[in-house]
Amino acid sequence: MHLFWAITQRSFQRHLTYRAATVAGLVTNLFFGLLRAAVLIALYNARPEVAGITVQEAITYTGLTQAIITYISIFGWYDLMQSVYDGDVAVDLLKPMNYFAFWLAQDVGRAVINLLLRGLTIMLIYALIFNLTWPTAPVQWLALVSALALALLVSFAWRFLVNLAAFWTPNARGIGRFAFGITWVLSGFYMPLRYFPDWFVTLCQLTPFPAMVNTVVEIYLGLLTGPALLHALLQQVLWLAILIIAGHLVLRAGLQRLVIQGG
Amino acid sequence: MSIIKVTNLQKYFKVAKHQRGLWGSLRSLITREYEPVRAVDGISFEIQPGELIGYLGPNGAGKSTTIKILTGLLVPSGGEVLVNGYVPWRERRRYVARIGAVFGQRTTLWWDLPVIESLDLLKHIYQIPAEQYRRNLAEFRELLQLDAFLNTPVRSLSLGQRMRADICAALLHNPDLLFLDEPTIGLDVVAKERIRQFIRHINQERGTTVILTTHDLSDVAKLCRRVMIIDRGQLLFDGRLGALQHRFGGRRELVVDLADDYPHAGVDGARIAHRDGQRVTYQFEPGHITASELIGRISARYRILDLAVREPDIEATIRRIYEERLLEKTGPMLGSNGYR
Ligand SMILES: Nc1ncnc2c1ncn2[C@@H]1O[C@H](COP(=O)(O)OP(=O)(O)O)[C@@H](O)[C@H]1O
Ligand SMILES: [Mg+2]
Repeated sequence: MHLFWAITQRSFQRHLTYRAATVAGLVTNLFFGLLRAAVLIALYNARPEVAGITVQEAITYTGLTQAIITYISIFGWYDLMQSVYDGDVAVDLLKPMNYFAFWLAQDVGRAVINLLLRGLTIMLIYALIFNLTWPTAPVQWLALVSALALALLVSFAWRFLVNLAAFWTPNARGIGRFAFGITWVLSGFYMPLRYFPDWFVTLCQLTPFPAMVNTVVEIYLGLLTGPALLHALLQQVLWLAILIIAGHLVLRAGLQRLVIQGG
Repeated sequence: MSIIKVTNLQKYFKVAKHQRGLWGSLRSLITREYEPVRAVDGISFEIQPGELIGYLGPNGAGKSTTIKILTGLLVPSGGEVLVNGYVPWRERRRYVARIGAVFGQRTTLWWDLPVIESLDLLKHIYQIPAEQYRRNLAEFRELLQLDAFLNTPVRSLSLGQRMRADICAALLHNPDLLFLDEPTIGLDVVAKERIRQFIRHINQERGTTVILTTHDLSDVAKLCRRVMIIDRGQLLFDGRLGALQHRFGGRRELVVDLADDYPHAGVDGARIAHRDGQRVTYQFEPGHITASELIGRISARYRILDLAVREPDIEATIRRIYEERLLEKTGPMLGSNGYR
């Protein structure tokens, strides 16, 4: 655990040095967030609610999802893949540590700094422009924090798994783009899942993707309470366990056939 | 007990064959033909604790591939490897805790962070006791002169500085074995020398077994008593540098300062390679005539003021072996020196 935090801290420190990129990313996220909000407002067209979501909640949804884009790397993450292709995976494997935990520790550092610098800023600016919904009950806050943490872990375990494709093919980037594109839609990032027909939502629930975004959103907006909330959190935990096990199995197979490029 | 035992090690890579023309590239979409590259092709050797081995060979010989297998990164296609009691790729985590490795073209340090941050992280990764970490760091800081850039981000270091920091990083946990893959590549003479001295120090003072790959012959000539020469995946020579020189070094040289300007300074059994006034350089084949015989013959005819025997240059020797593929004709020269 000591080691995990030592790595997280350094990753945090390292991402702090990318200030210009953070500001640029922030502006982009904000711009598209406002665009999405404008589109939703137009679609609501003065209707009080759609699929049980008010326009105020819909606007909050766009802010929240934009705020966690980088936190969970919803648009994709290729660092591990890249390290396989340029051979830097060698220096990581030369260290006596769990490879999954090593990358996770780094990802937590990256995610937390982005949540603080980009996520919070976006929510604050949104709050200045719109009338937002906020969690109220302490239990809701507690559930939100848990769901956020689990969302990151599930998302990481999924990204780890996708990146392992690099052990098999020199063109895993294409696989990555496809996999992360699916994530984008099925997680509820593109649209709140409640807007979709029931059969589609049921289908989504059979995948780990809603656990990365939709669960967080619905808890934040107060759409999940009581047993439903607990169920959603448990689902996150379940998917996390499945993805971690899958990641380790695939990693073990991948290491058998690893080819390290360059000296 | 040997610390490394390698038996008939093989590593083949499959490389997709390039199909010619449009028809070929369409076909390769459906069926790919692979051509095996025999990077390591049946190598065997043993290494005793405390040895400092030079693993030498031209580019593409299979040096890095061997090191990657020995450090547990690659699974070989065939053969057996036992290092420090482990099969490296089977128990990777436990095994790598006891070795150190530096790949010349890579860094283990975090690119954007000060050097010291990465070194401190290694303390956690290897669970190095605080006292040992403090002592090692103090020693390496001095020997490798790290102080000037310990707080500099790695990306701003020169190649030589980065290499020194990386070597320090590989040794903080007191590994039993140190693998260095081209540790002097791209460095200037002074930086090379500093690193060589440090490697010698670690080997002698700590008894760390060191395996060093290089295509820079001066590394080996200055550091290693035992060399292994690999080319095209096969071990061509394993023995003392001196033995190699003796066998393939070809001509030795005798430089003589004569007392007079003899118009003709020739003798039987040697040829004059160079003449500069009274200084004459004779070349002779060690198999045909000994140095003392030759000196006898010269002094019988001419008056000698001073003389020196020059051993053939190791670089020239090995270059000749590569170029003329001398060892292939004679077969591998293993065990010529009692190492097996
Ligand atoms: N990942 C790889 N895929 C295909 N061929 C490789 C790979 N790595 C090395 N080779 C080939 O194996 C041979 C030995 O390479 P290497 O061990 O890197 O040589 P050295 O380190 O002695 O220069 C070369 O012909 C090289 O092209
Ligand atoms: Mg190499």
